[in-house]
Amino acid sequence: MTRTPSKIPLFYPMMLVTAGIIAFLETGPGHGGGSSLLMTLVFWITVVEGCIAVAAICDLVHAKWIVTLKEELLSPVPLLLFLTVLFLLLGFKIDLYPWMQDEGRWLNKPFFLIRNAVVLLVTYGAALRYAALSREEDDRKVSAAVLYLFAFVLSQSLVAFDWVMSLDYPWYSTLFGAYFFVEAIFSGLAVAGILFALRYRREVEKAGEKKEYLRDLATLLFGFSILWGGLFFTQYLVIWYGNLPEEVVYLVERITDSPWRELSFLVILCFFAAPFFLFLPRRTKTLPGMVTLVSLIILGGLFVERLLFLKPALPLPTMIFLLESLGFFLLFSLQVGRSRA
Amino acid sequence: MNPSIPPEQIEQDVLAAMKKPGLLYWLALLFCGTVFIAGMVCWGYQLKTGLGVAGISHPVAWGIYITNFVFWVGIAHSGTLISAVLFLLRARFRTSFNRAAEAMTVFALMVAGLFPLIHLGRTWVFYYLIPYPNQRQIWVNFRSPLIWDVFAISTYLTVSLVFFYVGMIPDFAVVRRYAKGIRKKIYQVLSLGWEGRLGEWRNYNQLYLFLAAFATPLVASVHSIVSWDFAMSILPGWHTTIFAPYFVAGAILSGTAMVITLVVPLRKTLSLQRYITDDHFEAIAKILLFTSLIVSYAYIVEPALAAYGKNPFEIEEFRYRAFGDYGTLFWIMIFCNSILPLALFVKRLRRNIHFLFVLSLFVNIGMWLERFVIIVTSLARDYNPYAWGTYHPSIIEIGITLGGFGLFFSAYLVFLKTLPVLSITEIKERSDGTGNHS
Repeated sequence: MTRTPSKIPLFYPMMLVTAGIIAFLETGPGHGGGSSLLMTLVFWITVVEGCIAVAAICDLVHAKWIVTLKEELLSPVPLLLFLTVLFLLLGFKIDLYPWMQDEGRWLNKPFFLIRNAVVLLVTYGAALRYAALSREEDDRKVSAAVLYLFAFVLSQSLVAFDWVMSLDYPWYSTLFGAYFFVEAIFSGLAVAGILFALRYRREVEKAGEKKEYLRDLATLLFGFSILWGGLFFTQYLVIWYGNLPEEVVYLVERITDSPWRELSFLVILCFFAAPFFLFLPRRTKTLPGMVTLVSLIILGGLFVERLLFLKPALPLPTMIFLLESLGFFLLFSLQVGRSRA
Repeated sequence: MNPSIPPEQIEQDVLAAMKKPGLLYWLALLFCGTVFIAGMVCWGYQLKTGLGVAGISHPVAWGIYITNFVFWVGIAHSGTLISAVLFLLRARFRTSFNRAAEAMTVFALMVAGLFPLIHLGRTWVFYYLIPYPNQRQIWVNFRSPLIWDVFAISTYLTVSLVFFYVGMIPDFAVVRRYAKGIRKKIYQVLSLGWEGRLGEWRNYNQLYLFLAAFATPLVASVHSIVSWDFAMSILPGWHTTIFAPYFVAGAILSGTAMVITLVVPLRKTLSLQRYITDDHFEAIAKILLFTSLIVSYAYIVEPALAAYGKNPFEIEEFRYRAFGDYGTLFWIMIFCNSILPLALFVKRLRRNIHFLFVLSLFVNIGMWLERFVIIVTSLARDYNPYAWGTYHPSIIEIGITLGGFGLFFSAYLVFLKTLPVLSITEIKERSDGTGNHS
């Protein structure tokens, strides 16, 4: 696809205004110590980086189904810059991390902010370059895609280890980083599922091919549900079976009391059971409505799981969080919608 | 590959491998067979004298027998990856490698299965591992990952064998036409009366798809369970959540390397350049690079998070791995598995068959060392400093290890002369039509 999105300079001012509103909300009354900001960050960085990663992987393996969707999946690139700005706002809220009481060589305020901001900017730069080359179908897009994927893995690993896992410092799990970037790709595919299903109804030509692509996409979601199930189980089993007090406490906190117990089951339902069983029959894979539904369930699962991970930072100031999510959702939809126009 | 190769030509080219072997073949088989028998003699000596002839003792009770076991299970992995996973992903270059890889899977599993038995010491009571009602009134411990292994490996062996065999049925029918005498009779039985009718093909394709889908989760499950032999215990360096995916990636890395090691000489000696092209080698080199990157990611994450946490034993474990008694082996492993494969980012090297062959040898060495380093260093430095110690393999252990390689390569040589080395029917499918073959 050689088309580039119309350059409306509206987006960047809007981004700044939204960032300003979020900054105001986070410093205003009832701000809740930054948990809403962190939640917004960890949810959206997964979705945004995941969408671009899906496009990059498809470019690498010459996947055909992506062609009609590429523009949409690449459109959230500028949001990475927005996420960087939001992350810097987190600097004012950094007291929500327990290690701030006892800063170490890796986990201390300046290094934490600098390394994460640098990685976010590098990821943004790699995404910009990849998106530009990919839109032009330049030969260098393959190497750009590889570079972006490196930045993506690094960035998601830092999100996992620094942003999320360090809330429970000194607890750690070595799989966390890989778990996060697989989930990011999974959620990117879910977004692709929604976009494809939406497009499906509008276009009527090449019905047979479209159906095949939808089935491929659904099969990928199905495959990723198994992969996710495997990763989840392997992380859970090792910790549960090892039963080391300092390690298992992480699980115990999340599987014994309500509402965490119920939410934990919900996560398994959304990420594994729903896509697996709903896409098991051959027919359901070609129903656009079903693909939309399953994709929404997966994104819902991602949301609930982030909530579980952030447990030490909670409670969430609901109103502020909803406003932030709404703002981000509007920006995201605006970007994607503009690319479809 | 030239799309206009006539089907008869394909059959003859592939079956040329099965002609009467030359002197070189016999010498190779003699050498591998001798190594295997020498290994068996070592095992016989161990059976007669006792497990004390091996170097394993306290605290390192798992030595190179278990290293070999994990290594060979790993080798067995890419057979299924190339056959089943690439089949499901519709990667057409798989036809060049799938037969060799499936055969490799079966032989590697046979060798792998031998090592826990050797490690038992009193091998003759191996059937205690199998749960069945018995007059001894004992039952296996289902909570032990070692028992999960028994089930995982035997399931994998069964499925791999069936998959290997089913894939060959139409080819047996082709061989049947060319063979004479007793060989003809044997292939006749093996081909199960295949006639190539439309209905047969329809059922066959359906079965193959189902088997592929069934085998795919096994790729992940078997080596995950092997990794849990370690991760379920609470030793520093072993008890870590990344182990399962990391072992699976490592298994595919080593298996892919072994496929390259086997297929490069095969292509050269049997002049199969028309069927196994440089494009195909490039594709498989990409898999090797990809899995090497995953393994490298794990190499970085593990010590990094040990340093992040507050457990002094974990920190000491990773310091010991890199700078302790086995430090040299650790750095060779890093070089072979992480640094050298980075060269595959260069397209020219991905297509250089000589380079790929040498690289695959290095990766094989690196992956064997990886298992050795993981197994031995953690046992050598556990939570109790009073019980720290080192391990050196005895001559008997080394002999049995080499014997394992002898068995594997002997079996492979026999395979070359008895079964079609490439999937004839799939190559025919690939070669007609558009010529868009890879």
